Amino acid sequence: MPPHPPAYNPVPARTTLARPEQPAQPSLGKPRKVDWPQPVRDYVGRAFEPQNVIEGISPAEMQAKLKDLISFFAGRNQLESLDWTTYPLPQQLLVAERRAALPPVEVAPGFANNVPPAPVHSSGLYTNNNSSSPQSARKRKSNDASDDLPTVQAEDNLPPWRKTNTASLKDRITYGNNHNEKRHKKNDSTSKSFEADLEKRKNRFNLGKSGNQTTPPWSSSRNDSDSDMPTGPVVGTNQSLEKRYFRLTAPPKPETVRPQHVLEKTLDLLKKKWREESNYGYICNQFKSLRQDLTVQHIKNSFTVSVYEIHARIALEKGDLGEYNQCQTQLKALYKQKLGGHPAEFTAYRILYTVYTCNKADMNDLLAELTLTDKAPPAVRHALDVRSALALGNFHKFFRLYLAAPNMGAYLMDMFIERERLHALANISRAYVTVALRFLTDELGFDSDNDCIEFLTSHGAENLVEQKTNDKNESQLRVKIKEGAGLFDSLRAAAFSKVDIKGQI
Amino acid sequence: MQAALQPFREAHALENAWAVAQILSPVAPIDDPGRLYDFYRASNEHMVENDVRSVLKYSKQNRHLKNESDAWTDIFVSYWRAIGEILRAEEASNQGRLRDRQAVEVYEAWKAVATNIQKFVSNGMLPSWAVVCMYSAANHLRVLAIKADEQLAQTRNGATFNAGFQDDVVSTTPKSEKLEDAARVFNRMFALCLGDRNPDMNESRKWGVYYMANLQFKTYFKLKAITLSKNVVKAIEAQSDLPLFELYPKAHQVTYKYYVGILAFLQEDYARAETCLQEAFDACFMQAIKNQELILTYLIPCRLITKHAIPSADLLSSFPRLQRIFGPLVACIKRGDLPGFDEALVAGEEEFVKRRIYLTLERGRDIAQRNLLRKVFLAGGYEDLKEGQTEADRIRKSRIPLANFAAALRMGTAGEGSGQILEDDEVECMIANMIYKGLMKGYISREHAMVVVNKKGAFPGTGV
Repeated sequence: MPPHPPAYNPVPARTTLARPEQPAQPSLGKPRKVDWPQPVRDYVGRAFEPQNVIEGISPAEMQAKLKDLISFFAGRNQLESLDWTTYPLPQQLLVAERRAALPPVEVAPGFANNVPPAPVHSSGLYTNNNSSSPQSARKRKSNDASDDLPTVQAEDNLPPWRKTNTASLKDRITYGNNHNEKRHKKNDSTSKSFEADLEKRKNRFNLGKSGNQTTPPWSSSRNDSDSDMPTGPVVGTNQSLEKRYFRLTAPPKPETVRPQHVLEKTLDLLKKKWREESNYGYICNQFKSLRQDLTVQHIKNSFTVSVYEIHARIALEKGDLGEYNQCQTQLKALYKQKLGGHPAEFTAYRILYTVYTCNKADMNDLLAELTLTDKAPPAVRHALDVRSALALGNFHKFFRLYLAAPNMGAYLMDMFIERERLHALANISRAYVTVALRFLTDELGFDSDNDCIEFLTSHGAENLVEQKTNDKNESQLRVKIKEGAGLFDSLRAAAFSKVDIKGQI
Repeated sequence: MQAALQPFREAHALENAWAVAQILSPVAPIDDPGRLYDFYRASNEHMVENDVRSVLKYSKQNRHLKNESDAWTDIFVSYWRAIGEILRAEEASNQGRLRDRQAVEVYEAWKAVATNIQKFVSNGMLPSWAVVCMYSAANHLRVLAIKADEQLAQTRNGATFNAGFQDDVVSTTPKSEKLEDAARVFNRMFALCLGDRNPDMNESRKWGVYYMANLQFKTYFKLKAITLSKNVVKAIEAQSDLPLFELYPKAHQVTYKYYVGILAFLQEDYARAETCLQEAFDACFMQAIKNQELILTYLIPCRLITKHAIPSADLLSSFPRLQRIFGPLVACIKRGDLPGFDEALVAGEEEFVKRRIYLTLERGRDIAQRNLLRKVFLAGGYEDLKEGQTEADRIRKSRIPLANFAAALRMGTAGEGSGQILEDDEVECMIANMIYKGLMKGYISREHAMVVVNKKGAFPGTGV
């Protein structure tokens, strides 16, 4: 079971491109002899006393832990301030740690009943007077506890980020045990300066993360990430309905994560707010944190599907293709597992989207995936008809389909309707000399003649429209379409040359 | 070991690259099914390195072999290990007890062979002809990678949760990990061939360029990472000092042209695709029926677009498979039978989509439609002869009622109530399309419900 540092850290934006300075280089050159305070020496002595040996903990393990501990406190200038006489011995900490590493399942019921998680390791090992703090009791791993205790102790004079305890986790990943002594000395040598200390901690943090930065994402092996990431799901305890989205930089804390029954209420709230306020920035942010909470708790069921579906629809409505595509990718995978939802509706969107991107290869792949049953639902049928109408240049049928788009298909079709109108105009301008304006209005799916004129005007074709009287003395608006052939052709070519496919996966 | 390596020593003495490549194969030759076993039995893990080295190093007849013995020793030792993995996997699979990652182990072992050869080719410890062994090892690597991925896909069930701090539920694990891995090996080998600076063309590795390129194409197509193939083409086109393309083995040429043609085809650059595929087809070995079929699978749709041409009955009849998939479509295009065309397209959809020619063939409907409308035009007959005109300059009627075309286009559709009714406006739209695409010359007059076609060349390229 991993420790629980805070679920997220608001990370300040990077202002330079320079890589963070590597901490090892500057101080390695001048290792200095250290004078250990007497209490620390005594503590080390006690750790090695034969009566304190615990069965199942080898001396090597104990020593490693001891080094960890000392270097940890040395790094924080706390060797002197800590009450070493009452601090648990390394072997005791190891026992607690192992106990805490029991499967989390046993703890889960407590979480589900909204009771704060029972402190698994509070077996009287903590004689430190600071350990009565409820904050520390929530920690589930002694490594954290050792980390946490002095933090609580020094709570008042430390900046908030120091209370985070990612460091101990990172330390263990970054350095092998044999490095600890060296690091300890190095830390001690510069420990007088608070600034330097802060810088180091930051660097160490970066160092632990450096694997993520230097190796390209495709080569990061999954086994690697398993070793330093929680393999089991988190069980959330947070009860608030709203939560701002932060990108995770560390395993999430249960108290910042909302369990499913809370998330369900959140979804209802968000739906209501969307109807009433339509503040997309807020809604999108909330949905992202909602999705994150689902992910870290490994919730993958019909509720998950509906969250992604609703977010996808809202994103679609606001034309946020980046977010929409993310949801689509997830939905595709979720539908494969038959968790319910509306696969037909979203398959139709996918087809329409591919029509929009004009990517023949993708379209081919998409068609290859569809089975006969997939193609049966009306929405999918419609989308496929749209595709074939455009492929065959049947703009008449295309604009009929546009007016009859099911679900939110019209939002997607809006993205390429202008382009197709220009295409149709280019087409008509080659085949007719003049046409009635009404003919264009009908053929190109405009709501009214005025919309049609507006469209023509906005594309610099207003001079083609003229007032005419026909044989029956009726006045009629006509379009000298043939004269616009060159114009429409170039507009069409321009419209098809740029397709914005941001966020497409 | 002495006996097991004897064929190699003989082939090496003759500098027979293909024979050496045959010996370094993970598959036993048909005439000697026990060869792998015999080779593997000739040594054991403990002794193999010394065994191989002593045979190769103290070779009396062949001085070259002696100098290259370190390289060949490494290669044969890795080969021996790979054979071990292969035999174990084969045995396990025969007994139905294949372990979860056994195919992966085979792959990894063979990858060691391939990278060993590449390494020694690269640092010049092997003679130039060893490039052939590199090809062959690489090709086997591709096959083994595909097998390994198949096995991985079976054991990995469904989507997994991502372990990172990502925000979304489902992670995207690569589906063909090992083949991607192999692709990287091929890429290194390709670069090795392409970048050879040996000025002596007889010894240049540049002769391997097209072979490796073809192998990369195959791999990328399988990986559905077709765009990566473009980089290979670009790299070759940017390399100015390659030997003349015509001097390469025909097989390399044909395969390369085929893939370049398909790449152009997929990018809808049909003119270029046609040139490349035509060259590939012309150079293709007469008896390589399957390869010719593959080329034609793309060349036929290509010519449908560029030349509005359909394959002759003769051509189709010599390729039964093509006859089966293209025959009905071609017949309908020729007849101008639109419902038949739609039906044939639906019937063949699965196959067409798989071959990535569906969207191209779909455009053949225009040709079918053109042929149909042309029939209407021909059926319209001639204008009455005016004074002074002779039979020779009779002209066809150039004003054709829209209703005639509509009737033709509606033929074969089920009519009202079937959901297939063709509206009058739609008929106009289809004709407008013909005109726009240049398949028909003329204009539509809505007022008179007429189509006025050009007096000369109403349907370009069809003789009327």
